[in-house]
Amino acid sequence: MKPATRLYLYLSLSLVACLVLVPLVTTALGGFKSLGDLRVNPFGLPEQWVWSNYTDILFGERYWRQMGNSLLIASVTVFLTVVVSAMAAFTFAHVKFFGAAQLMNYFLIGLMFPVATAILPLFIRIRDLGLLDSYWGVILPQVAFGLGMSILLFRNYFRNLPDELFQAAFVDGCGYIRFFWHVSLPLSRPIVATVSIVSFVNSWNSYILPLIMLNTETKYPWPLGIMVYRGEFGTEWQLVLAFITLTILPTVIVFFLAQKHIIAGLTAGAVKS
Amino acid sequence: MASVELRDVRKAYGALEVIHGVSLSIADGEFIALVGPSGCGKSTLLRMIAGLEDISHGEVAIGGTVVNALTPRERNIAMVFQSYALYPHMTVAENMGFNLKLSGVPKPEIRTRVAEAARMLALEELLERKPSQLSGGQRQRVAMGRAIVRDPAVFLFDEPLSNLDAKLRVAMRTEIKTLHQKVATTSVYVTHDQIEAMTLADRIVVLNGGRIEQVGTPLDLYRMPANLFVAGFIGSPAMNFLEAEVDGADGQPAARLSDGTLVHLDGSRKVRRGQQVQLGIRPEHLLAGQTGDTVLEGDTVVVEPTGAQTHIVFTLAGKPVTAVVDGAFPARHGTPFRASIAAPQVHVFDRASGLSL
Repeated sequence: MKPATRLYLYLSLSLVACLVLVPLVTTALGGFKSLGDLRVNPFGLPEQWVWSNYTDILFGERYWRQMGNSLLIASVTVFLTVVVSAMAAFTFAHVKFFGAAQLMNYFLIGLMFPVATAILPLFIRIRDLGLLDSYWGVILPQVAFGLGMSILLFRNYFRNLPDELFQAAFVDGCGYIRFFWHVSLPLSRPIVATVSIVSFVNSWNSYILPLIMLNTETKYPWPLGIMVYRGEFGTEWQLVLAFITLTILPTVIVFFLAQKHIIAGLTAGAVKS
Repeated sequence: MASVELRDVRKAYGALEVIHGVSLSIADGEFIALVGPSGCGKSTLLRMIAGLEDISHGEVAIGGTVVNALTPRERNIAMVFQSYALYPHMTVAENMGFNLKLSGVPKPEIRTRVAEAARMLALEELLERKPSQLSGGQRQRVAMGRAIVRDPAVFLFDEPLSNLDAKLRVAMRTEIKTLHQKVATTSVYVTHDQIEAMTLADRIVVLNGGRIEQVGTPLDLYRMPANLFVAGFIGSPAMNFLEAEVDGADGQPAARLSDGTLVHLDGSRKVRRGQQVQLGIRPEHLLAGQTGDTVLEGDTVVVEPTGAQTHIVFTLAGKPVTAVVDGAFPARHGTPFRASIAAPQVHVFDRASGLSL
């Protein structure tokens, strides 16, 4: 590699890394400052390290309860998304039936609409189903909105499994269901990981759905918890920042643990393995 | 073990018919090879026997039972695929035992049967490995192991050796033959390689364009091809074809090539004077330099030494003709080449119908 190319690569990659890291570091450091310090010195190191911002949150009951709520909602969302979209995608990939293409497109249209555009009809429907102020009222819409992308990823992956594998399994005595369970799914670990991570992160950071659907404070996931630090006349930004740092920490850790799978899953099918 | 019977089997995709009424009886324990060029329908036919393709018309019977409506599993067949189609996430032992596991065979019995098959195929050391850790030949053996473990009524092979290199292919060919002699299960073997078909099969079925051209033992097909297609397909290097007109001389039939050369034919050939025919001459039947019934002469165009033998291409009546001679034969490009052929070894085909006369 030419030195000029190398320099260019390092510079551009550093720039991108900064774009990602500066907000994260600023947030984490901001959590250690007092409000006054934060106002005059938003980006530097804290003048005085205020550990109590973090410890108060960590030793309080609310943080853990909200993390628990978020975790519960996210886990159920991930589970349902993976199960439903894998089965749907398997059908689209292997079974030819009348209207398959139309149905697939119908799912894909879902990719075009963010939750916010449908929030009013969604609210009315959830109310009619009697699921307001319950975890299901958040989980089910999240699963529904995650299906389009997940089915797309799963279907492409299943399609790239060699045909002969399916035929061999068929000769061995598998039907569609056993083939799905014994062959497709075990071979799909990277894509399962990808879909899980994507839907977990989406659910973890989801703000508007819980905001509309949940009323009881004990059921709030963490993004709603931040509202506590917003008073009528001012916001305690240093606490908000500390709270955010503590809540995004789990997703960052999960990402680092699973990043190999995520990248493998996203690029699967792009090149022949 | 079971016999296999095809009765007027047809396959159509919409209005397009690709298999046009194939009837064939395969005896219990017989090894049948289906050969033909790409797209002749041999794989489709095999997959119809397997149950992976619907049968548009006609019947397939295995062991006397019509199986048209049965799934591959109910037909009790085992299939070996060209790409091996091993399950990548299972070990060799799991791959081999998968169908037994699916049919609810108890674990100790699965272990015994897998071990037995592994011993037969020399796979004992590899049972705990994943397919990705095996070589091509080993994978192919596992695929065969997967087939024999279940003790099926019929083995189906779909070009199983095409993915292997030439040397390994010969070795595996021998293994398949040995295996068949050991287990004597009815086998149907699809290949485009006529050498594979000749060496392995009890009988060969030559397919072309979805029709059977000829069925017979390997030597029958070689010695008495029914038509031009079989004559050109069986044998390597391929048979030479020369256009000629029948011209009887001294009560013995003969044919005249376009350059006037007279080729003597066997008296038993049913030809009539003036008939337009195609002569078929196998390269290995052309004897260099000697005098026989007919002597053919031409300029050497290409010399291809292969070691034991040399292939010589010379021009005769404006067409290239290949002859196989001993490796020691002094052949040079551009020099005249002289070869003779005995009358019984000249095949004669009607030019219009392509049928052997």
